[in-house]
Amino acid sequence: MRTLQCQSTDLFTEYVRDWKEKGGKVLGYACVATPVELIEAAGILPYRIKAFGHPDTELGDAYLARFNCRFCRSCLQLGLEGSYDFLDGLVETNGCDHLRGMFENWQHVKKYDFFHYLKVPHFLREDSLEYFVEELSLMRQAISEYFGVDITDEKIMRAVDIYDEVFAKLKKLYALREKVPPAVTGAEVMQVLCTGSSMMGEDFSAMLDEVLAEKAGASPPDYKARLIIMGSATDEVDLIADIESTGALIAADALCFGSRAFWKREGESADPMQLLAERYLGYLFCPRMFTEYERRRDYILETARRAGVDGAIITYNKFCDLHGVEAVSQRADLEAAGIPVLVLEKDYGSKADTGRIKTRVQAFLERLGK
Amino acid sequence: MKPYEGLINRVYEIFSIVDSLPERISDEELEGLLHVLPADMRNTFGAFFAPHVRPISMELFGMVKKWLDGAHETKRSGGKVFLVPFNFLPEVIFCFEGAWPITSEVLSSLGVMALEGQGERYWDYAMGLGLPDFACSANMIEVGSALTESDFTPDAIISDCFGSCDINSKTHEFLARYMDIPLLFLEKTVDNGERGVKQYYKYFFKLAEEMEEFLGQELDEERMRRVIGNANKASELYWELWDLHKFKPCPVPNLFSLFTYAARFTMWGTEDAVRIMQTMVDTAKERLERGEYPADREVARSLWTYTSYYFDMGGLFNWMEDNGITHLGDGLDLYFPEVVDLTSRETMLTGLAEIARNMPMTRQMGANSMSVQWLDDVTWAAGELGADCCIYCGHHSCKQTWSSATVVRSELMKRQKIPTLILQGDSWIRRMTPMSALQESIEEFVKNVVKQR
Ligand code: SF4
Ligand code: SF4
Repeated sequence: MRTLQCQSTDLFTEYVRDWKEKGGKVLGYACVATPVELIEAAGILPYRIKAFGHPDTELGDAYLARFNCRFCRSCLQLGLEGSYDFLDGLVETNGCDHLRGMFENWQHVKKYDFFHYLKVPHFLREDSLEYFVEELSLMRQAISEYFGVDITDEKIMRAVDIYDEVFAKLKKLYALREKVPPAVTGAEVMQVLCTGSSMMGEDFSAMLDEVLAEKAGASPPDYKARLIIMGSATDEVDLIADIESTGALIAADALCFGSRAFWKREGESADPMQLLAERYLGYLFCPRMFTEYERRRDYILETARRAGVDGAIITYNKFCDLHGVEAVSQRADLEAAGIPVLVLEKDYGSKADTGRIKTRVQAFLERLGK
Repeated sequence: MKPYEGLINRVYEIFSIVDSLPERISDEELEGLLHVLPADMRNTFGAFFAPHVRPISMELFGMVKKWLDGAHETKRSGGKVFLVPFNFLPEVIFCFEGAWPITSEVLSSLGVMALEGQGERYWDYAMGLGLPDFACSANMIEVGSALTESDFTPDAIISDCFGSCDINSKTHEFLARYMDIPLLFLEKTVDNGERGVKQYYKYFFKLAEEMEEFLGQELDEERMRRVIGNANKASELYWELWDLHKFKPCPVPNLFSLFTYAARFTMWGTEDAVRIMQTMVDTAKERLERGEYPADREVARSLWTYTSYYFDMGGLFNWMEDNGITHLGDGLDLYFPEVVDLTSRETMLTGLAEIARNMPMTRQMGANSMSVQWLDDVTWAAGELGADCCIYCGHHSCKQTWSSATVVRSELMKRQKIPTLILQGDSWIRRMTPMSALQESIEEFVKNVVKQR
């Protein structure tokens, strides 16, 4: 777990360095709508872009604006200052307007030879699913042509199997966190997920075996209340650790660097492209899917109930339109279901916010009578 | 909140006074009227009744009144009123019997322009519910009023902002759920290539079917022909007005930019929109013949790259003119309307889909690359209209434009050799940046940058 700790806050991890040294290629992507199986089937390492609470944004600010989410500005900063120069290309998705801006500016400056835009519909219907199938085929073709690899159906299905394994193990890890008493903390779970998001599925799967074995009998410190956390994309392990330092246990999550990335990835089709489309567009529990609030709400309530939480934290980055508006309905529905809520609007990665956040969480725990 | 305090209801009341105004209002009568109006309204009316735009403002007010009347009348007679964003084509709704569009951003703008206290109380109400303060006031003002549940209520919402504006889409998704009314939608495929366009048409046809189903009627070809025929005439007049902007000094009053899209976003497809467009063209032609320009000389020709400011009409549009700064139009005028082939239902729907795809924001922010499409359009317009500078208003909610503004500014300088002033202010809420500060920045920019070139 100690290696994990540093791996989960490094961008150019030992693993990635090793991969590159062996001549491996790395493709950066940002959004969970990106089917990593397709990248892996090409023998390329899919690397989820992170900022790890990186506080500087001057370069990012020169292109984006202070009205853009700071997570995007921080990622752009890292991209422009060279921290991401180990990437061999980028896969853009229209996750949100801020992300689109981030990718456009990044590409405008860095001009990667491989830059592919995967267009993800904002709703699920037969016609949008068909369109997404075509989109995935275009992505497959682009990667295949540029990197000169044959992405066969078999390779894709093999990657799907590997990821099914990964997801099953992640569910076990989540079960260790959900059980009473828990064997793993929220911060540890996020470390695992962040680390895994820069690894090949097979290696992540092996690492999960170790983590599960090591953690099975562990007993983290006592806690006062069990909480679920949801909201904006955040890779801030520190944020979760700060929250947990007040005596809360993040027993469950509906985060994008969390359960939303893997909990439901189902599909029936035997055709790999169709299958990936079903797995991804079919289960994109993100507020960018404008017509599916009820599915997201049900997913959150189901998760909260399963983990037996005492309360919920909804957190979103300042200027995040999608989560900012979603928070209003989420709060109302959670409260109607008897789950008290704390809404935390925060600036991504801002250390200046730490004290305020801790105070608010402490006050929330008091409100919960803990 | 009482029903009479709702935004739509209040605006409707205000616009009823239009009926009691004389057709040609004299300076004295205007003086008297302004005297009794509350300050916020006085500003707007003062700007709209400046002598050079007075007759057409009267006509515009009449059109807006009719538009609001239409919504009420539709409700009374059992029809359906659709709340739409500005980038949705009202003519699509007029193609149906007993259906009427009301436009979120136009209603917010009317509230800001015509009501005492502008739209702030509705904005505050929305914030009170927990909606974020970085949401778009263009919607949030109208939506804030709707959320009070004491205002005029639409029967369904159509959002065609999927793909081009998150906050707009999200706000309407939220409102539909809150009001428990259907949300119909249209996605821009963020792809202007052949495949993306084909898919967009598919979605458009699907929406038309859903509207037919919701309204319980099939589109009637004759009615479509009549409505789209009107839209075609208005589009031709749009291009005449566009060409008139090219003369120096510009014979088209600054406020016409706003009037053009006021017509576009409300009554396009009706004879009233044609009439307004015609009057604007005629007025500009007359001014051209007479060589009229409000200031001694035209000092700068500015193209606003996205929205303008709407919270102080007199403070901006006419002030610019008085200082010789021409407002050649803004991003909301950049929709390049085409004439639709009226042969059949199929050709008409395809023509509408093509126009819808090119509506402002849909076209630029819903493109494969926001910065590239936006830049292409602004560069072309600036060149065509002979702009010597651009102004980006920096509406704080437009995260997409904010994220492309730097690239657009620097590329505009390279391609057109014209500078861009980047301002920061909410276009619909005066609290963020006062008009005086914005004016000061514009003045300095014109004096120190534009005139020095
Ligand atoms: S946090 Fe919000 S604004 Fe930022 S990238 Fe995620 S969805 Fe977009
Ligand atoms: S593009 Fe800008 S003005 Fe238009 S709705 Fe979106 S945020 Fe508002």
